[in-house]
Amino acid sequence: MHYRTRESLTGYLSLLPAFLALAAIVFYPMVNTFIHSFTKWNGADAEWIGLRNYTFIFTNGELWTLLRNNAIFLLSIPGILLLSLIVSVLLFEEVRGWRFFRSLYYIPTILSAVVVGMLMKMMFAQSGVVNQFLRGIGLSDGNTEWLSRAPTAFLVLIFCFYWQTLGQGVLIFLSGLSSISHEIYESAGIDGAGWWQRLIRITMPSLVPTIVYFTVTNAIYCFIGLFSLVYSVTQGGPGRETTPIDYMIYIKAFQSPGQLGYSSALSIVLFVIVLLVSWAQIRLSNRFEE
Amino acid sequence: MANRRSLPASFIIYLVLIAIAVLDFYPVVYMAVNSSRTAVDFFRNPGGLPSEWNFDNFKALYYRFDVLRLFGNTLFSAAAAFALAMALTVPASFAFAKIRFPFRQGLYMTIIATMTIPSITFVVPNFLLLSRLGLVDHLASVVLLWAITSVPSNVFLLAALMRGIPNEILEAGKIDGIGYVRTLARIVVPLSAPGIITLAIFNATGWWNDLFTPLIFLQSDDLKTMTVAVATILKRFDTDYPLLLAGLFMTSIPPIAIYVALQKYIKKGLVIGSVK
Repeated sequence: MHYRTRESLTGYLSLLPAFLALAAIVFYPMVNTFIHSFTKWNGADAEWIGLRNYTFIFTNGELWTLLRNNAIFLLSIPGILLLSLIVSVLLFEEVRGWRFFRSLYYIPTILSAVVVGMLMKMMFAQSGVVNQFLRGIGLSDGNTEWLSRAPTAFLVLIFCFYWQTLGQGVLIFLSGLSSISHEIYESAGIDGAGWWQRLIRITMPSLVPTIVYFTVTNAIYCFIGLFSLVYSVTQGGPGRETTPIDYMIYIKAFQSPGQLGYSSALSIVLFVIVLLVSWAQIRLSNRFEE
Repeated sequence: MANRRSLPASFIIYLVLIAIAVLDFYPVVYMAVNSSRTAVDFFRNPGGLPSEWNFDNFKALYYRFDVLRLFGNTLFSAAAAFALAMALTVPASFAFAKIRFPFRQGLYMTIIATMTIPSITFVVPNFLLLSRLGLVDHLASVVLLWAITSVPSNVFLLAALMRGIPNEILEAGKIDGIGYVRTLARIVVPLSAPGIITLAIFNATGWWNDLFTPLIFLQSDDLKTMTVAVATILKRFDTDYPLLLAGLFMTSIPPIAIYVALQKYIKKGLVIGSVK
């Protein structure tokens, strides 16, 4: 056999197992979900109903509550971005013991969202330690029912999100910071630029690609990664007030009989949203590379 | 930027760093300390220290909830899933990194694009498929799903590392006449060992912490993974906070131990992709 043909064949055969497996577990089920999004489906019998699932999703108002809940998490990203940046810049000053702090900050990131969620749920319980502390310092009467009202329930969820994301942010930004060349700082220092000037003129602009990366990964996380946290803290409640889209798909698929068609359609909506966010990421990172 | 720092500046830096360290670490300490209390003692003063150290909760986890079995389920599934994942990932990554063939770039983009598909969007057909095969409520279902859904991101990382293998080494192998399998086993895998270890850490901690897949595919209590068991079985006792905290604490020990022991690999893995 010709040498080139044989090399091509080796290449395709190397890819074959991975692609077959992905076809069985990802590609085929995606097509299956797409087709069933046009049906009323209970897992066994599917009845073609055209676009009814989609018109229902877009008109019954539920989607806007779900999207609002995802949007609340999205809007909390700048906060954790700023916090991670501040902490990273302070760590980058390399005060004595900074490595210890860096290691410590990463611990919440490696814990399961389930552990974090259940732990925080207990700490924020009515008779829990957070209320005890707030009463101790006189900030509240210590009877706040954090999880029974939507605004405070969101505060607890976002606290968990921040608590877990800080370690990741710090690690990413520290590596971004250390890739900035020392000569730039030195020449800026010779030109008489102060600490703040260097921060704003050199450090921040060089960190832009890392900031984009952090923002986009977390934006995608806000659409597809919240399941475990919501499951273990609020179960989407009170009512549907803290239910993001992915959790709703789970409820419709596994806790409401006969709604598999509806949950398939909702899955496709989520898929399109994530596709748009990823597309935005590619556009953004291409722009910053120029 | 470390130079000529004034004393107040250092003071402020430490103040912020310590405040965040306390906020970061207090819940972990809280979990560890309160898992060694009785429920009565706990509710008398949730924020206090144990009036006496009591390890009954851990005994209960061992005797009543068979925690060793739960650990075993998780370890076995993760190990099997990683073996399968590597069997699929290593040849594919090698092909993308070092073999020339038509449509390589397109196929690579297809695999990478798969990373962005949220797993909840295709879970129902998989559930029906695996239940038809009799694999639901069997560890094999979780092994299959974990392994296969991890392939795209694993290929992304491993192919990037394999591009760094010098072509001279591979050509020398060709001249010696060693075949494809031996090239992979003798040259490619040993040279990518650090990357494979990084993947092992990431996949294993990710799977240990995973709720979604085992929650849906495993139903019997004695098949559950540790994380799912805490979220479902132990949750039935959710008025006994110290018992629950003991379960959470035990669930946290393996990831923390892996992190403490293998920090440098974790950093390497996280940084790939974030800095170009």
